Amino acid sequence: MASNISGNAYALTILSPIKNGLQDETAYADIVRNRLQEWNAENNSPMALTPDTYLCRFFVLDDVYTETLPGANAWDTVVDWLPFVPNFLRRWAWPKEDHLKSRYLVFSSNFYCGPEGTIDAYLRAMWVAIGDRIKEIWGYCYGFEDVNDADQFIAYMKKCQLTATLFFVGSTDDPLNEQLKALYLKQEFAKFAIDNQGLDKTALRNNFQAFFDRVQPANLSAPTWAAGKYRLED
Amino acid sequence: MSNIAGKAYAMNVISPLRPYLTWVNKLIFWYAAKKPSNLTGLITLSLIHYARWVIIDRDKFPHLDPKQPKEDLSYNYMLFFSNFNGSWDQYVDSFTFAIPGGLDLLWKWTVRYPKSVALTPFHNYIQYNQIETIHYYNAYPLAASNDVKSAKSVKSALIKFQQDTQNASDDDFMKSYNALLRGLQHDLGDMHPTPIVSMSAYQVQKRQKWHKKNDLQLGGK
Amino acid sequence: MTKQLDLLDIQGHVLRAYGRFHYPLARYIFLNIKDESIGRDFVGAISKKVTTAVEWGNGPGQVEQPPWTVNIALTYQGLKQLGIPRSSLIGFSPEFVSGMKERKDILGDDGPSSPEHWDPIWRENRETREKDVHIFIALNAQFSKDSDLLGESYDWLLGVIKEHQKGVAVLGGHRGDDGALLDYQDAKIVMENGLPTAKEHFGYTDGISDPVFEGVPYDADRINGRGKQMEDGSWAPLATGEFLLGHIDEAKEYPPAPNPILLSRNGTYMVYRKLHENVATFESYLDEHGKKFPGGKELLAAKFVGRWRDNGAPLTTAPDADSKAEFDKKFKEAEDKNDKKAIDDLLSNFTYDNDMSGGKCPFSAHIRRINPRASLEMIEGDKPGSLKMNPNAFDTPGALSNRRRLLRRGLPYGEVKDRSKDNGNHGIIIMMVNADINRQFEFVQQQWINYGNDFRAGNDKEIILGNHSANDKFSSKAVIQVDPDSDETPYILSKIPRFVETRGGDYFFIPSMTALRMIAQGVIDPT
Repeated sequence: MASNISGNAYALTILSPIKNGLQDETAYADIVRNRLQEWNAENNSPMALTPDTYLCRFFVLDDVYTETLPGANAWDTVVDWLPFVPNFLRRWAWPKEDHLKSRYLVFSSNFYCGPEGTIDAYLRAMWVAIGDRIKEIWGYCYGFEDVNDADQFIAYMKKCQLTATLFFVGSTDDPLNEQLKALYLKQEFAKFAIDNQGLDKTALRNNFQAFFDRVQPANLSAPTWAAGKYRLED
Repeated sequence: MSNIAGKAYAMNVISPLRPYLTWVNKLIFWYAAKKPSNLTGLITLSLIHYARWVIIDRDKFPHLDPKQPKEDLSYNYMLFFSNFNGSWDQYVDSFTFAIPGGLDLLWKWTVRYPKSVALTPFHNYIQYNQIETIHYYNAYPLAASNDVKSAKSVKSALIKFQQDTQNASDDDFMKSYNALLRGLQHDLGDMHPTPIVSMSAYQVQKRQKWHKKNDLQLGGK
Repeated sequence: MTKQLDLLDIQGHVLRAYGRFHYPLARYIFLNIKDESIGRDFVGAISKKVTTAVEWGNGPGQVEQPPWTVNIALTYQGLKQLGIPRSSLIGFSPEFVSGMKERKDILGDDGPSSPEHWDPIWRENRETREKDVHIFIALNAQFSKDSDLLGESYDWLLGVIKEHQKGVAVLGGHRGDDGALLDYQDAKIVMENGLPTAKEHFGYTDGISDPVFEGVPYDADRINGRGKQMEDGSWAPLATGEFLLGHIDEAKEYPPAPNPILLSRNGTYMVYRKLHENVATFESYLDEHGKKFPGGKELLAAKFVGRWRDNGAPLTTAPDADSKAEFDKKFKEAEDKNDKKAIDDLLSNFTYDNDMSGGKCPFSAHIRRINPRASLEMIEGDKPGSLKMNPNAFDTPGALSNRRRLLRRGLPYGEVKDRSKDNGNHGIIIMMVNADINRQFEFVQQQWINYGNDFRAGNDKEIILGNHSANDKFSSKAVIQVDPDSDETPYILSKIPRFVETRGGDYFFIPSMTALRMIAQGVIDPT
């Protein structure tokens, strides 16, 4: 029924409960949030080093919300079918006030998982690339004390994983390096089209060959866009 | 905090779901996934990179340690994560203008959902139930979802063109090249740093640049 | 629901583009309020002469068409200065409160369009209280051989100002001819060979296809092409609340508006922008590419805007020389018979349904970007380079554009004395009326004019109005698409220069007559 996979793309949803402790008069969860905030000041996200990551995000889930705005659904006012609503029923119909007992580190990632459709390779590569950063962020979570290598990290994450009820891919499910190469080619070809507009057929042909040799469409490693590239001059 | 990474916006919404109605919601999602034509409105909007809904049963919050208290909730929860292009307003508005029925179908099982029309209560609902992203990574901040898709067309068209014209005459080459351009006439948009979608986000960027500059001057990192 | 609006309560220029009603001359005056009470008194005196939207004629409920019109609008600072209570002030939209200058990064008013290049009046606005623009008075006059009607209206205004000189002052600093700084901004239609035209200085016929919405009797027969496109191919007027506060809008609610209701109902927001036109740059760019563009210079000029320059024929109806000739025949017939409805039909009644790939009207053309009609309900077509409509994907075909419409008012200003120079005094004063500045004007400006993702054009901007960069690294281009079924190849405009530069402006609130009287009396109270 529900699936994290759509084609070759994977939707990884991780909720990691954070321990209820403190350090330097700051709650663990707030330390985690602060560290994530500091990631924003770095030149590029540590996640740029995790291969095949399309887009991913982190936040700290402090608590759930209690709904108090009016709703427009039948169930919100089902009690009203009774002409006379006794007080206990009127109060029962109010939205309940829920609270989480722990705060959670939420990690939601969209990545290329390939036809195998597993998360092991992705998480392994993530551990190998940025193991220290992972410890920085996950270090205060329940059950993370026993995580010291890639295998343990994968096992840990599977315990924290939720299944997507619906995963919608509005873009492509190609490997990241395919997407980046394609974007590079799009940018370069648009320039080529302008530079070669109106040229005679011989010049055009020669120029196109030179262009093709320079941009090497089949070579995914270079030249291409770097992951996380923000500026044009880089 | 940042909900923005280049041209993408990270929206997180959490909504409570009545336990005895959760099965209906799950059924509807299953049906939507099974028949992609149900998502035609979403596809036509073309603003989303990737989006997902996750329903968490109230007793299924990850529990990793006996020392961790077990959650005791009245409701199940539906989490929504979207990576889209454009501003928050444009995104929410495009749903309420273009596919209000579809939106309602997916959300009306949650507690106190106001329906997607009229606009202001719907805006309020999303804002009320939204959670800010702290760190957002985008592998291609300069590219919208449309750019990623059109780039794919450009790549395959270029490779095929090279193969097909290997032995063509110069005249045929020119003709094929014209056809190549014609076929890619909607795929050649430039990619520059995004328009500014929000004064607040822009001001945060400016302040951060100031801090960075001054840290260096003050002998910081 | 069709209900006739209370025309006597709405200011005339909101519902009418005066240029269309024989008012070819205009003068815009901006004032600063020095004293709150005298300021209110001044507003009261002006309001006695303000032109409403009442029907003109000799019938019952009608009023004789005046020789000159008067209308008034206020900035946020002006409302504050007139003593509007704080609890009313906080109900105005945040962008209106900031004013247009502060929104320059969102609007793309950078480089030559940035505020440091604006006319002194706009440069100094919102810097010190004494130079803030508070009140905007618009005078529009008919043309008369025997009298100077515009001069008459201005004299009247100066008289009222003199009576209140202890409390209000005219703000000068509008650039005129040869570097002169004037106390007003003049605007007038462009004359060609001694005859009035509806053109602007690049040579395009302007002011076509203003939106039509419910409740306006003199628009009731002009809905086709101007309202919203329905699934069955018919047209319906847009909801009133898209353009007037206090009325239901397309989202089935009352647009957010300040309290009390009598302050906002029948009022609206207006964006005033002075746009300089770089005539020489335009001419030389058009010449340069007109030589290379298959189809020639005039067709290329038409591709920039989406309409042919001479008579405004839409490219979707007349995509080439042959169909243009046919159009011209029908157009001339209608003109000869003075059949206004037929003319309007020819100019405005079209859709992009048969041009989903942009082969007729390019995706970066002015009118397509400003009002895409139902063309955003698009998905990839069957042939490479083609797009097609995905019917019923959206709630209504125009779902993504119905709430982005703008009423356009204003006139060209200045004259081009030398088409080989950019720095003359010539451009347009455009005033855009909408119920929500951020959702309508700012959105179109930022997402559709200065950006192109919704048109699958990445960062490619709208050709005429886009804030094209002089920096080679970010140089602008536009693809002129072709019919995917043809043998042609798309033409790419490269290194597009900035044709239009912002020279000033601000955001205004146009009060209803009721609100105006209450503001003047000082009785606005949201308790």
